[in-house]
Amino acid sequence: MYVPENLNQLLGYLDDHQSGVQLIANGSDLINRMQRRQIEARVLVDLSGLSEFSYIRKDNGIVRIGALTTIQGLISSPALGERYDVFRDVASIFGGPAIVNVATVGGNICAASSSEDLIPVLLVLDAKVKLISKKGERIISLEDFLIGKRQTAILPNEILVETMFSELDDQSTCAFEKIGMRNSLVIAFLNCSVFLRLSKENMGIEEIKIAMNRVTGKIPGRAKRTEAELKGQPLTQTNVENAVTTLMSELRLTSDFRASEEYRKEVAPVMFKRTLIKCSERLGGELRV
Amino acid sequence: MSKHLLRFTVNGKQHALVVESHERLLDVLRDRLGLKGTKEGCSTGDCGICSVIMDGKLVNSCLVLAIQARNKQITTIEAIGTVENPHPLQREFIKWNATQCGFCIPAMILASKNLLDQNPSPSDQEIKEAIRGTLCRCTGYRSIIRAVKAAAQEMKGR
Repeated sequence: MYVPENLNQLLGYLDDHQSGVQLIANGSDLINRMQRRQIEARVLVDLSGLSEFSYIRKDNGIVRIGALTTIQGLISSPALGERYDVFRDVASIFGGPAIVNVATVGGNICAASSSEDLIPVLLVLDAKVKLISKKGERIISLEDFLIGKRQTAILPNEILVETMFSELDDQSTCAFEKIGMRNSLVIAFLNCSVFLRLSKENMGIEEIKIAMNRVTGKIPGRAKRTEAELKGQPLTQTNVENAVTTLMSELRLTSDFRASEEYRKEVAPVMFKRTLIKCSERLGGELRV
Repeated sequence: MSKHLLRFTVNGKQHALVVESHERLLDVLRDRLGLKGTKEGCSTGDCGICSVIMDGKLVNSCLVLAIQARNKQITTIEAIGTVENPHPLQREFIKWNATQCGFCIPAMILASKNLLDQNPSPSDQEIKEAIRGTLCRCTGYRSIIRAVKAAAQEMKGR
């Protein structure tokens, strides 16, 4: 293991050693994957000591979250108050306290699979990620960062240091739902996050963003056809039911050892509606679907 | 495989030992320091049985590389109470028959203690949330919750 003392040392090391290196934050996911031989690295590079990357800041309408912020950090931060209850949605079902205390935001993003509960939330918030290397920094959208299952756009000499998104305003909210085998310590059969902005005048859908962990071609990803169908429409039962048909055509629901295709197809509309109801309630609305 | 000097504090005592990169905190505690109170369950972070407190936070010691515990303060079950003078949690766990096979109990006590340190009068729901990552396969959760509530009362009364 290489233990850098500061960021410069780390970036220099990564620039000199571009293969066989695996970054490790607090290890809650990585150690498991190494034990299963899913990851074989010659050298681990320990990021856990770089405490400067554990922060939540707001500036000029942008929320900035340091990559080493833990899931517990997200929900205990005064910067993310009631308006960001979506992070409490995630933390309450993310894992037990011993996982929530160590799992990091950056780790969740970089693990890049359908199991990562934070990714759908950040996708509907249109989050971006900041990558730095010895050569400089670049900022790309999370959507572009996630190439496929366990594949990201990060280069061997880069680290992900921050994720950022625009602050939620009075008219907008966000929610998250997850279903798994039990209520704690579980990997999702399905998860769903929705961002909703209702218009002040008629409570119509001004903007909606939907992400689930099993969207065709993207794991996880946005259901953009469903979003387009609902945008500008009143938030009514009929419109939501019609949108569910489109949503189902955008999802890739297959069987695996966690759940069957049939079960996933049965619960996907329920998950979407539950998340939407939660959003509507958070904006003071009353949606019955 | 590289070796590292690990300096850390366990139950108030400072230690310095040479560890290899892949060594887990769990193994260092049990096999190198002889603190067998911390149990190994699933080794994948699913059961919470190996929980210890690191810098005031509950962590799964099976998912912490020993070297990542450098400069940290670790508390294991060995630091909680003594046979002559048990911690209120231990007293109430005995009183309410909250231990069956006992394997999860070191972790249950630490998870509960971590809760009571931050929240001296937890509700049933808050207790459930605090121990939700610690699996008891004897499924004795009701008496565990009762015991934690009683211990909270006792500690407040002091």
